[in-house]
Amino acid sequence: MKADVELKLTHDGNKWIGQNEQIVASGESLNDLDEEVKCALQKSGSYAAGAQLTVFMGFDFETFPRWLRQYHNHYFNRCVSLVL
Amino acid sequence: MSEVNRKWTDGMLATEDWWAVWVGLILFGAGLLSIWGIDAVGWMAKTKTWEWSKFVADPSFNMFLKAAHGKAGKAYEGMGGFGSLIVTFLVFGGITTIGAYFQKLDVKKYVLGFTCIFFITFASWMAGHEAHFKAAMTSQSKLQSEIYGNDVYCMTKVHKCTRKINKALKKMGIDVLGGQVPTQEQAAMAVGKVKKAIRLSWGLQLGGGFSYILSLLVGLFIGNFLKGFAGFLKEAAKPEWFIKTAIVYLGVKLGHMSISSTAKVGGGGELMLDLALSGAAAAFVAYLIFWPIVYALGRKAFNLRRDASAVLASGISICGVSAAIATAGAIRARPILPIAVSMLIVVFAMVELLVLPAAYTALAPDQPIVNAAAMGMTVKTDGADAAAGAILDELMVANHYTKTGELWEEDWILAGAVLTKIWIDVFIGVWAFVLALIWVYKVERKPGQSRVGASEIWFRFPKFVIGYFIAWLTYVAVVVWFPEHAKHADAGAKVVQSPMRKMMFMLTFVAIGVITDFSKLKGMGRLTLLYAIALFAIVAPIAYVVSYIFHHGLMPPVVVAG
Repeated sequence: MKADVELKLTHDGNKWIGQNEQIVASGESLNDLDEEVKCALQKSGSYAAGAQLTVFMGFDFETFPRWLRQYHNHYFNRCVSLVL
Repeated sequence: MSEVNRKWTDGMLATEDWWAVWVGLILFGAGLLSIWGIDAVGWMAKTKTWEWSKFVADPSFNMFLKAAHGKAGKAYEGMGGFGSLIVTFLVFGGITTIGAYFQKLDVKKYVLGFTCIFFITFASWMAGHEAHFKAAMTSQSKLQSEIYGNDVYCMTKVHKCTRKINKALKKMGIDVLGGQVPTQEQAAMAVGKVKKAIRLSWGLQLGGGFSYILSLLVGLFIGNFLKGFAGFLKEAAKPEWFIKTAIVYLGVKLGHMSISSTAKVGGGGELMLDLALSGAAAAFVAYLIFWPIVYALGRKAFNLRRDASAVLASGISICGVSAAIATAGAIRARPILPIAVSMLIVVFAMVELLVLPAAYTALAPDQPIVNAAAMGMTVKTDGADAAAGAILDELMVANHYTKTGELWEEDWILAGAVLTKIWIDVFIGVWAFVLALIWVYKVERKPGQSRVGASEIWFRFPKFVIGYFIAWLTYVAVVVWFPEHAKHADAGAKVVQSPMRKMMFMLTFVAIGVITDFSKLKGMGRLTLLYAIALFAIVAPIAYVVSYIFHHGLMPPVVVAG
């Protein structure tokens, strides 16, 4: 499935962070993050108001400690639908 | 740099899971070249049983090692033990360094670390093969000590010595299988003629198990008392990579066992099928019984949050670190949670590895396959489970032989432990997917907002299992469909499924010890207590009962001496 926007997802210990070359957004919960992503996309001016976008967020597994990566190599990906 | 799984092919060159498949299949393929008369694996270093006083009298490196060349070719006949060790180091060091490069490891640190781990591994392996620790007493000494003496041990597989002593007696005109009994002098003369039979004043008869335990202790010593050195080795201490490669090689062994045992004793193939099916049933039970109990314990008795209980329940009751990360990802937990739980799991897996093989051997010496499956359900992480299975195999076979004189075919107990664990591993993707659906659509419901892709199942699927089944089925296919090539295929496969596999196990033992730091348990009081209670009061006993129900009556084939 092709997403309209793709973000790399990380967690800094306090907040979830979603970013790509155009936007950076963060939130304490994933729901908060979704709202912040929506705001950031609106502010970017690349999309019309009311547009419905599919946003793919893939967790960057390189943020896991290296010793742990040998046991498993995937955290999660999520796909959300946002109406700007 | 970032690592996000997007396409189904992602990670094929970048993860240790896939590299276990590549390293496994490359050398399995090289082994199969023996079909065309090419011995591409005969350089592999193979340990020999040696005896201390003989070494002191005439020191030679060739006492410890030899090249494993089979009947496929003569190319390595002149290669000494040291030469085969160096070639083995260069080949495995070379292949795994390529893998390390693609996995974006620090290649320089990896090469230095692997070099140290490799030679520490072989030093432990060779030391553990000293006859007083390893050699088994011959059945003549065991059953007729008044004639042969109670001090005749065998430097190779014990039934071979028994057979050769009987042959030597036959050449002297005494047919022991026909009922004739030799005098003490004749017996002594026959024993003297058998090169691999040796007289020892004492012997622990631990088989290869002593090498495993020794290498584990060496690794643990480094990990807990030489922490600076452990840090230096860390880049190359990859027990999961090593064990997953070993499990691919074990696939060859299982193919070999399915066929040769069927031919020999009538039923080995059936036993393998029984093991596989009962392993699947037991794995299913593990998910359905352990998880809810441990989850409820975490929630009710320890007041843990929902996400912490779920991650712990999966880590403790399913397949360890992999399950903890998969579950945490499925329920979108903060990453710190699976990281903390994983530290706990790795340390407890070591405790299980140290305690359970000896405990099962002592408590249920006549239930080898039940013990094996219970091990597969109880011990977390692939590395610790396969390692525990290997130790259990060695200890139980040696113990049974010492007590009864009956020799079980080796590796069936290991196969039981690994097969059960593999079923548990295989379903973790599905389990995590179900959890993700429950979490996203029920627990934290926000209609229309987030979707769970079925691709998550594939991303979480343990890829080394693919290599394991390819090796298993390919070997069986070659032997069944091209029986005229079976003998030649076996020559190369033997090297892959025995010395190569055992070396990867030995590397795992050292590496798992190096990365286990017991001091990491500090500050995890409540979680540690919950883990200990769940493991020893819930998972281990229930696993044993389930294992008994599904595996009761299964026994390894007996090697007939004669």
